[in-house]
Amino acid sequence: MPGNKAHWHLLSLLRDVDHVRRMTLADWDLTLRLARQARLLGTIAHRVAANSVLWRLVPPEVQGHLCSALVYADHRARMVRLELGALASVIPSSVPVVLLKGAAYVAEAQPFAAGRLPGDVDIMVPRDRLDEVEHALLDAGWKFESVDDYDQQYYRQWSHELPPMRYPGHALEVDLHHTITPVTSRTRADTGLLFRDVRAVTASRYLVLSPADQIVHAVIHLFQDSELDVRLRDLVDIDALLRAYMQADADWCQLATRAQCHGASGLLAYALKYCGLWLGTPVREVVAPPMGLACRGMDWLMSATMLPHDPDTVPGLKRRMGGWAAQVRYHRLRMPPGLLIRHLSTKMGRQLAHAVRFRAASKVRDTGAGQRQPGG
Amino acid sequence: MTASPLFFSDATPDRIDAALASDGLWLSYGACRVRVRAEASGFARILQDVYGAFPFQDQGEFADFHVRLERGRGLRRLVKPQVRFSIDGVEPFEPFPVSNALPLFEWGVNWCFGQRFNQYVLLHAGVLGLNGRALVMPAVPGSGKSTLTAALMLSGFRLLSDEFGVLRPMDGRLLPMLKPVALKNESIEVIRRFAPDARMGPVFAGTRKGDVAHLAPNAESVAELDCELAPALVLFPRWEAGAALSLLPQAPEQAFARLAFNSFNYGLLGARSFNAVADLVERSQCYQLVYSRLDEALDCIRCLMTDEDV
Repeated sequence: MPGNKAHWHLLSLLRDVDHVRRMTLADWDLTLRLARQARLLGTIAHRVAANSVLWRLVPPEVQGHLCSALVYADHRARMVRLELGALASVIPSSVPVVLLKGAAYVAEAQPFAAGRLPGDVDIMVPRDRLDEVEHALLDAGWKFESVDDYDQQYYRQWSHELPPMRYPGHALEVDLHHTITPVTSRTRADTGLLFRDVRAVTASRYLVLSPADQIVHAVIHLFQDSELDVRLRDLVDIDALLRAYMQADADWCQLATRAQCHGASGLLAYALKYCGLWLGTPVREVVAPPMGLACRGMDWLMSATMLPHDPDTVPGLKRRMGGWAAQVRYHRLRMPPGLLIRHLSTKMGRQLAHAVRFRAASKVRDTGAGQRQPGG
Repeated sequence: MTASPLFFSDATPDRIDAALASDGLWLSYGACRVRVRAEASGFARILQDVYGAFPFQDQGEFADFHVRLERGRGLRRLVKPQVRFSIDGVEPFEPFPVSNALPLFEWGVNWCFGQRFNQYVLLHAGVLGLNGRALVMPAVPGSGKSTLTAALMLSGFRLLSDEFGVLRPMDGRLLPMLKPVALKNESIEVIRRFAPDARMGPVFAGTRKGDVAHLAPNAESVAELDCELAPALVLFPRWEAGAALSLLPQAPEQAFARLAFNSFNYGLLGARSFNAVADLVERSQCYQLVYSRLDEALDCIRCLMTDEDV
C-alpha cells in the first residue's frame, strides 16, 4: 500500500472495517483528520456503525465524530432529494433526465452510498434538449454561479457540461451535462450507447446509467476529469460500484466491452489496478494491465497526489511535484495543445486582472476586524 | 525539568509559550478537546488569564480539533502584523491584528464546534447548573444573556456554557462547553462592578462585535467538566431599562419555536433535533423574564431553580 503509517490506518479501514480492532485512540486522532480531508469520514462511519460489535470497540470521543459525520451525510442526501424534487417539476416531462454519480446513488438508495457525502447534483440530458432544459431552469429561477463571459463560452464550446447553476438559497449546485467526457478530450464516450441502456429509477421520472456505464463514468471522472488531488474518494466509489455490480464473469466481460466502446479501456485498467492494490477490491483481469514507463509514472503520480496529506507536516517535494504533474496531465488530456495554450493564457490574463482589482478593493475592506458567524 | 503544573494559573508564561510553540496545549472544554499551537507574542499570558482554572496539559493522545494560530506571511510579519486561525489547513476567517489573537482563537473554536459537532443539537444558549439541574437561557439579541450568565456564575451557579447549549439527543442531557464568557460593550463594566475580583482578560476594542472582554470560568465550574445535567428550566431573558421584574410562563410550543429557531444546527439534524427540543421543553418549566436590575433577576432565577414560590 502507498503512503505512510497514517495512510495505512485509513486504507486498512477502507479495505476491511474490521481493522477497527487494531486501532488505538491515538491512531484515530490522525485517521479522523485524514478521513475528513478525503471526504470519507461518513463512509467509514457508516461501515463501522453497521457492525454493533465493532462500534462498541470505538472510543466514545471517536464515536461522536462518526455520528456527526453520519448526521451530516444524511442531511446532504436530503438536500439532494430536495433538489431532485425541485428539478423534476421544472424540467419538461418529455426530456429524459439521467442522474449521474452521487445523485444516482441517492435516488436509488444504494446501500454502498450510505454515509457518502454528495457534492453537487449532476444530471445529463440529450444534447439536442440541452437548450430547452437550460431555459426551463433559468425561467424557474436557477442562476449560473459565474457570469464570466469567458467561463460561459469555455463550458459551452469545450466542456461536457454547462457552468454550475444554483437556485438562490439552495444548498447544492446543479451540473447539467450532455455527455460524460469533455468534447475535446481523447477519451470520447459513446453518448448514444449511454442513453440507449439507461434504466428507470423506481417511482420517479429519473433514469440512471447501466451498471457498467456507471463504473466507466466513475473511472473517466477520476482519471480524465480531475487533477487527482486527494481523490481517494473517487477510487472508493469505484471500489463500491465494482463490489456491488460485478458478480458473474459475464458482468466483468460486459464491463470490459463497455470501457472499449467509450475508449476508456486504458483508464479502466488503471482503476482496476489501484482498486485491487489499495482497497483490496476483488478484480478480474479483463483488460490488459497497464505496463511500461507510463504505468510507473502513474504509480508515482497516484501515490503522490491521491491520498490526504498529514496536516501537521509541510507537503514534501514529491507531493508538490505530483500536484504540478497531475495538473499538466489533466490539461493535456482535456485539450489539444493549441487550444490549451489559448485557454491557459486567457485564464492567466484574467486572473492577473482580477488580482489587480482585488488589491484595490481589499485596501478598502482591510479596516474591519473580521468576518461572520458564531459569536463568542 | 520541573514538575508539570496542574493548572494554567500555576504555569509560567514561558512554559505556556514553549508548549504552544512545540506540541501544543490540549484544552478540555467538556464536550470537546482542542489542541492549540500558536506563534503569537502575548497570547500565552492572555490564555493564562482566561483559562487559569483549566488543567494544564501539554501532552495528549486525542483532540477533537487541532488548531493553529500563526503569524501572517511575508511582509505581514513586520508591517501591521496579523494572526491567522487554521484547522487542518482550513482558514475560516480573515486574519486579525496580532493583538487580537484571543478573540480570534475563541471565535475559531466556536466555528469548529458549530460546524463539526452535529451529533448534538447545538442551541444558541447559555447553560448553568444548580443542585444538579440545568438552566437553559436561549440567546436573543439584546437579551443580556452573557451578562446574566456571567453574574449567575459569579453568584454560585455552575457555568456549563455561554454560547452553545449542547443538547444530547440520546438522553436529553446538557453537556458543558465551558469557555470564557465573551462580554461585550457595556456588560464589561456591569460585571466589573458586580464582582470587582472576577478574573477577566484584557478589553479588545473595536472588534466586529464592538469591545470584548473575556470572563474566566471559575474553578468550581471547571471541576465539573465531565458532568452533564438534565434540564429543569428554560428561561428567555429580556433586559429593559427601568422595567419592573416580571415573569411570564411560556407555552411549550412557544418555547419550542424560540429554542429551535435559535439553534446552530436544528435544520441539519432533521427529526432528531425536533424530538430533542420537544423533550427539552416538555421536561422543563419555561418562562420569559423581563428585568432591569441584575440582583432582582438573580434572586428570581435562584428561586425558580430551587422550586420556591416566586
